[in-house]
Amino acid sequence: MTHTYQELVLDGVLVAPIVSYAVTALLLFLLLRPLLHLAGFAKLFSNPSLAELSLYVSMFGLLALFF
Amino acid sequence: MQAKAVKAIEARLPLFAGFSAHSWAFAVRVWLACLLALYSSFWLQLEVPSSAAITVAILALPTRGQGLEKAGFRLFATAIGVAASIGIAGFFSQTDGLLLAVLGVWVGLCVCATAMLDGNRAYAAALSCITVALITIQQIDSPQQVFPTGVARGAALAIGVLAVALINDVLAAPDYHPVVTNRLEALQRQIMSYAATVLRGETLPASLAAGILKDVAALRPEIASLRTESSSGAARSSAARSAMVDLVTALYLARALASLSTAAMPASVSLDRDERRSNLLTTCRSWLEGELVRRNAEVESSLDALRNGTHPAVRRRAPLYRSGRIAVENGFRASICFTLIAALFVMAGWPTTEVALSLVAVIIGLGATAPDPRKFTAIAILATPISCLLAGILKYFVFNGVSEFPLLAIGLAPVVIGLALLISLPNPLLSSLGRLSLVFTLAILAPTNPQSYDPLVFVITCTLACLAALLTFAAQVLVPPLSGKRRLQLLLTEVRGKRGGLRDRPGRRLSPEETAFREATRVQQIVAASSALAQGQCAVGEAMNDFDRSIALKRCDAELDRLKDGQLAEAADIGRAALARRDAGLLLATAGELRRAATQRNLSAEAACAALVLASVTFGPSTSAAGSIGARKS
Repeated sequence: MTHTYQELVLDGVLVAPIVSYAVTALLLFLLLRPLLHLAGFAKLFSNPSLAELSLYVSMFGLLALFF
Repeated sequence: MQAKAVKAIEARLPLFAGFSAHSWAFAVRVWLACLLALYSSFWLQLEVPSSAAITVAILALPTRGQGLEKAGFRLFATAIGVAASIGIAGFFSQTDGLLLAVLGVWVGLCVCATAMLDGNRAYAAALSCITVALITIQQIDSPQQVFPTGVARGAALAIGVLAVALINDVLAAPDYHPVVTNRLEALQRQIMSYAATVLRGETLPASLAAGILKDVAALRPEIASLRTESSSGAARSSAARSAMVDLVTALYLARALASLSTAAMPASVSLDRDERRSNLLTTCRSWLEGELVRRNAEVESSLDALRNGTHPAVRRRAPLYRSGRIAVENGFRASICFTLIAALFVMAGWPTTEVALSLVAVIIGLGATAPDPRKFTAIAILATPISCLLAGILKYFVFNGVSEFPLLAIGLAPVVIGLALLISLPNPLLSSLGRLSLVFTLAILAPTNPQSYDPLVFVITCTLACLAALLTFAAQVLVPPLSGKRRLQLLLTEVRGKRGGLRDRPGRRLSPEETAFREATRVQQIVAASSALAQGQCAVGEAMNDFDRSIALKRCDAELDRLKDGQLAEAADIGRAALARRDAGLLLATAGELRRAATQRNLSAEAACAALVLASVTFGPSTSAAGSIGARKS
């Protein structure tokens, strides 16, 4: 069965689903950052920024897959 | 040790063609991000792929945090600019001259906001003006296209930002916090050396302290960019901010010790109290020395937090001094410049002048973020022909009709990498020239799919770009941007005007340390405005005197506030009354009374006493002269 995507409609302007997923994932990621700091996420990786980017991409992918 | 090791490794890094490996890595990252942005834009069939490449050129900064912060503000300002474009085009599209006048007002408002902000916030204000220029002015004859143009620009910008973020993350662009840590450590050493000199009894010139304050305050926008660097970015930014604010207080304490050493006794107080006064001065001196040691320890602790990526023990804000009059004058002048050029184009009646007019707004907007807008326009005059030449060579000699992406990638490499190397140079003139040339080259080349090779369009675009830069310069000769002399005059008028009392913004109570930092940002502005002026030394001396007085007042006020609910409330009220009168003799007498009252009740009021003595010394007759004189040995 093909996954259907809902377009966001802002006052008659259609927003592509990929944009809403990207923005939602970004907001969730920003909310997650203080927790990552508390957990010492940056100290676990030699390139923390790449690890954070990977986490964002994973969140974005999961959102697109399940919602 | 670690910093020394890093420096030693950097010193051993090989140079290639006169540039370090870091510069080459940065240049290659810019080129790759540019290609990724262009490829993605072509693949997504965006209408203006060149905007994505230009975004990469604008966000070309050597460290990741700086680029990401600028990217965030760029997206935010674009959203504001698009909303303003829709509003302006919606309300004024059929009004001819009124539309241009409204655009002039918008340019003025944005330049005014730019002058009130610093760092990337100022850039965002300037970009709001540029976005309106690129959307509303370019679609001046077809207002129905404003919304689609705004959406297309927003999409291209988002692609550019993503490309820069991805390339910087994947290729491990360096972090900025080690650079900030090194600079804070160097400033700490400088301030402690200043304090040691003062403790030896030597008097140092006000210009030296002003220079240190300028360097400390200059870190403010850079520290803000640490926030975006990683998940520890917010903690690091907070730690660096606390260290920066405490450094200003440490310098103030060192200056207070100096003024205490050279303080003359107030003539109004009788000689039979000499011993008690001497005791008060000794108490104040020992309190100041203790405070200086404590402040230095706090700076050390904040620097440790910065290195470890943890929050500092004490979090401080770093308020910026904003001069409303300077901002309004800047905005007014920019508005007149833009309106003059717009009126000239309307009278000339040439076709496609909207391109030139939008470039005029771009130069005015970006110039507002530079320390000297006229110098920036002069660099733009130099950069436009260079960019036209580079774009022409690329278009008609290198590409010459090809449309394959790999060839575009290879052809762009020397230009983008070369100009990015120029950006990485420490010389601000060459760096600005490199950045402007890169942005203008990509704008004039305007890579699209399929690529346009119409020579007529190219010649007209180049002519209008050069004309826009020249006309902006001519307009700025007619209506010059605010000169250093005028800026200094306005700043000093504000200094003299506020001597009546302490001013905190309503609803925002600042601590003495935060007040000290805000005053330091004012000194920074005065030093910048007076750098090329003959009367600069006097102005700096006056600014430093005002710096000392404002902080002495604030500190005294804060210390007396602590006593207001205790057994010494009455003595604190008397102290406050003496403070309101700014009478040195009365302040000293009040300090003595306060100490006696505290001793009788077996309480400690050392800090309040010392603050009153310090205020008495600061408002005494000797310090106003001591601040502005040159170096001398006591």
